[in-house]
Parts: sequence; C-alpha cells; structure tokens
Amino acid sequence: MESNPEDIRAQLTAAGAVGVLAVEPFDGAAARVKFAPESAAALFQVFRDALGFTHLSTVGGIDWVTRYEVFYLLWSDATKRYVILSADLDAKTPHIETASPTWPSANWHEREAWELVGIHFDHHPDLRHLLMPDGYQFHPLQRAFKLHEPEELEVKVRHV
Amino acid sequence: MSEMWINMGPQHPMTHGLWNLRVRIDGEMILDVDPEMGYLHRGIEKISEDRHYNEVITLMDRTCYVAGMAWEHLYIQAAEKALGITAPERAEWIRMMSEEFQRLASHIMWYAAFVQDLGLMSPFLYGMRDRDLILDLFQAYTGGRLTYEYMRVGGVRNDLPEGFPKQAREVLDWLEPRLVEYDRLCMGSDIFRSRCDGLGVLKESDCVRLGVTGPMLRSAGSKRDIRKDRPYSRYSQVEFDVATADAGDVTGRYLVRMEEMRQSIRIIRQTLDWLDHHPGPVIADHLPRWLGAPYAPVGREGYLLKRNYPKGVGLSAIEEPHGEACAYVVNEGGEHPYRVKFRSPVFANLSACSHYLVGYRVADIPPIMGSVDVCVGEVDR
Repeated sequence: MESNPEDIRAQLTAAGAVGVLAVEPFDGAAARVKFAPESAAALFQVFRDALGFTHLSTVGGIDWVTRYEVFYLLWSDATKRYVILSADLDAKTPHIETASPTWPSANWHEREAWELVGIHFDHHPDLRHLLMPDGYQFHPLQRAFKLHEPEELEVKVRHV
Repeated sequence: MSEMWINMGPQHPMTHGLWNLRVRIDGEMILDVDPEMGYLHRGIEKISEDRHYNEVITLMDRTCYVAGMAWEHLYIQAAEKALGITAPERAEWIRMMSEEFQRLASHIMWYAAFVQDLGLMSPFLYGMRDRDLILDLFQAYTGGRLTYEYMRVGGVRNDLPEGFPKQAREVLDWLEPRLVEYDRLCMGSDIFRSRCDGLGVLKESDCVRLGVTGPMLRSAGSKRDIRKDRPYSRYSQVEFDVATADAGDVTGRYLVRMEEMRQSIRIIRQTLDWLDHHPGPVIADHLPRWLGAPYAPVGREGYLLKRNYPKGVGLSAIEEPHGEACAYVVNEGGEHPYRVKFRSPVFANLSACSHYLVGYRVADIPPIMGSVDVCVGEVDR
C-alpha cells in the first residue's frame, strides 16, 4: 500500500479540520497525521464521518521520557487503507479526550493504554484496570519502570 | 425474580483459558456482562523492550499458543520494516505457507473445542486427530509442535526438509474429505442447529463500530480480509476467496471458519507448487549479528557498526486466524526495540461481548463464547 499524504491533506482541508499539525508519509499507511491534543474530539469526528475511517484498530502510547505520544490506528473499508493519528502529550500529566463516543471500540484500548502507559483519557466511560489488578499503582510500559526490580505491591480487594 | 451476579471463570469449561466472565442474571436471562481479564498477563510488550529483535520471536509463539506462526509472521514483518531489512522471495512463500497451516490448525482446534462445548464428543476427537497431522508437519520443518521459533528477521531459520512437500500434500489430501465429514456431523445434527441458529447475533454495522474483526465480522456479511484488501507477503499472487455468511450468528461464524479452512488448503497447494520450482536462499545475506544473540542468524558476519544502527518505525497487519492483528515496532537505534505494540483481534472481539450476550440465556453462553474463539494468551499478552 503506497503512502499518500497529499490525498489525506486535501481531504482534511476540504472537511475544514482544525488542529492538524503535520501530515507525513508512513510506510504501510496512507499517512501519519500529527495533531494537537486539544482538538482531538472534533478531529476524530472528521476522520470517521468525512474521511470514512470507520474502524478504530488500536490505541497505543509511547513514553519518550520528555513527552508522551498517543497514537490511533484507523482503517477505512471504503478506500482500504490505514492511517495513523498521533499526538504529543505533556510529560507531567499526559491526558487527551477519549475517542469512545466516536469509535466505541476505543473503550478497552484506552483502558489498556491508561493502565500500562499512564495516559489519562478524559471523559472515558469506564476507566478501570483491565489487565493489571485493581489498585495497581504502576504503569509498566513507562521507561521509568525497571524490568528487573521488584515493585512493592499493595493490591486492594474488590468488594462486589 | 431477584437479580444476581455470577462468575463464569476463571476456572470454567466455557472459558478455554484463564478469564472470568461476570454475568448479571435474572433467572435464566442475561442482563449484563463484565469480562475480567489479566490472569494471563505476562507483559510481553514490556519484555520485548529488553530483548534482541530475534529473541522477541520466542514471545510471539506464546502470545497466542494456537497460532504461533501467525504471530511470528506479524512481528517479523513489522521488525523488518523498522530495521530496513528484506527477506528473500522463497522465505516469504514459506512464511505464507506456515501462516495458512497455522490457520488450519487453529480453526480445527477451535472446531474441536467449540463442538465439545455443545456436548458433542466425537467431533472433538476427530478434530484433535487431524490437527495432530498438521503439528507433525510443523515438527518436520521447525522441530517444534506448538512453539516454533522458526522465522527470523531477514528470512526463516532453515529450508524445508527433503520429502516435505510430499508429506504436506498427503496431509492435505487426507484433510479435504474430513472437512466434508465435519460439516455433516454438525450441520446435519438437529442438536447442533438448535443450539446455534440465531444466537449471539451481531450485525455488520455493529461489528465495525465495536472493532470486531475476522470470522465474526465476515459472518455478518462484510468482505473485509486483510489478505485481500491490503495484501502482505505474497498473498496477491495466490488465488482464494473470502468466506462470508449473512446471519452474523453462531452458525454463520461456524460456516465462515469451515470455508476458510477449504480456502487455506487451496492457498497451501499453490504455495507448495511454487516452492517446488523455486529453490533459493531462505535468509538474507549480511545480517547484523546483534539481531539475535545467542540465536545468531545463519547469514554471514554482520556489517553494521554500533554507530550505524538504523532507525525506523514498522507497522504490519495480518489476517490472523481470529481476525485483524497489527504490530507497531519502534526502532530508535539500538539492539532492542524501543516500543512494541500489538493489536490483538480477540481483545477487540471480546470487548464487544455485552452486545452479543445480553438478552440471551445462561445456557447460550458456551455456544456464543465458543464461536468467538477466545485465546486468552493474545488478549492479555
């Protein structure tokens, strides 16, 4: 699949998208779109409704030490291609608006990114632990989490 | 009637692995469900950050223990893109053949377990018998029956042994009529039909909205298949059809998987024919040595000095037996990947479970969850 950032850029301009910082070529996807986290909610709608990316494949986070990156992998059934959305988040309190109103499938992916990477998703309907035990205080996929040192756990028991 | 929460799992015949389905019921009716995952979380994405590129392959076999080859293929493609390495043509065809054999083995395993959930014992025994033949094939060219560690960045570990194509064709010739037998056992059985028809319905629009992929999506009428829509490896050079059904229920998922097995056999026959006529190297020359100590690649001594490490990001997507799987490998220069992110199809299929379970009865949970083909290893990673 050839990367085609010009096409994505033209469609975004036609749809009147705001908050797009850069549209870069990316091997294996139509483009990688860098955007400002403040305009996330509106941009998600544009990508789903105007550009036809109806399927959210996954949400992931990367800890770059001085900043965090959150990325979304989207798929369009109509044009049969992927696109990557990516936003840089503040290192101290990384947070971004949830994508679950636009793509309900974001629910679990964001829960995972929150507990493993430590990115907070604002207005998420159900931000609970998924893979880690309830009350787990660490975010294992952060660079500061050392693989070979035991963490001290204080696991709360859930009362149903 | 009074409502109550019950736990189905972590130890329950329905779960096929360690997870807990919490169900809120009123009498027999399901009012709400809440899956609890994480019992099998091994931190594969974290451990990968501490390993050489070839050492991650070991983890891939364990990500999904019934579809190891598919996950190796997924990771290898992303890692090669991130490192800027390409595999020889023959290696690509062997990988494609391996993935299709794995799809067969995985679907037969699903068939055996799923039909046993419905109380039919004979199909389970038939399924396990036939899956063993495929595992024999894997053993013949990788040495492993479940965890293979076969693919390498830049190719595959070794070429196919002598006599393998003949053995493989014999297995395919044996399997093809067995699939007809499977079908007769199930679709001809009133018990099977009455426990499957019209259950766990998920429409195509809901599947897309909820991120459901693979046989579940295709059973609702969609034709999305990564092998066709975005051909990777050499899938653009083989002929096969995308299996679909209309109903989106348990029977539909059964029919899609059955047809996919037939199509897999079709693809494997074409790859075997190609491999017969195209001998050649199966691993690239001049691979850097730091890719995988202590499993040094078979290629010649490395040429890259430490300061010449390449940088890059690799994205790959494959049609895994359960659905769309993606890998995102970030290479920041160095001997270990900086970040590895996997998209597991079962993870997304399971996250939608309240949409296809609520409104049915407790006794419908085993057939519905069986038709989802849950592999906890790849959900929890």
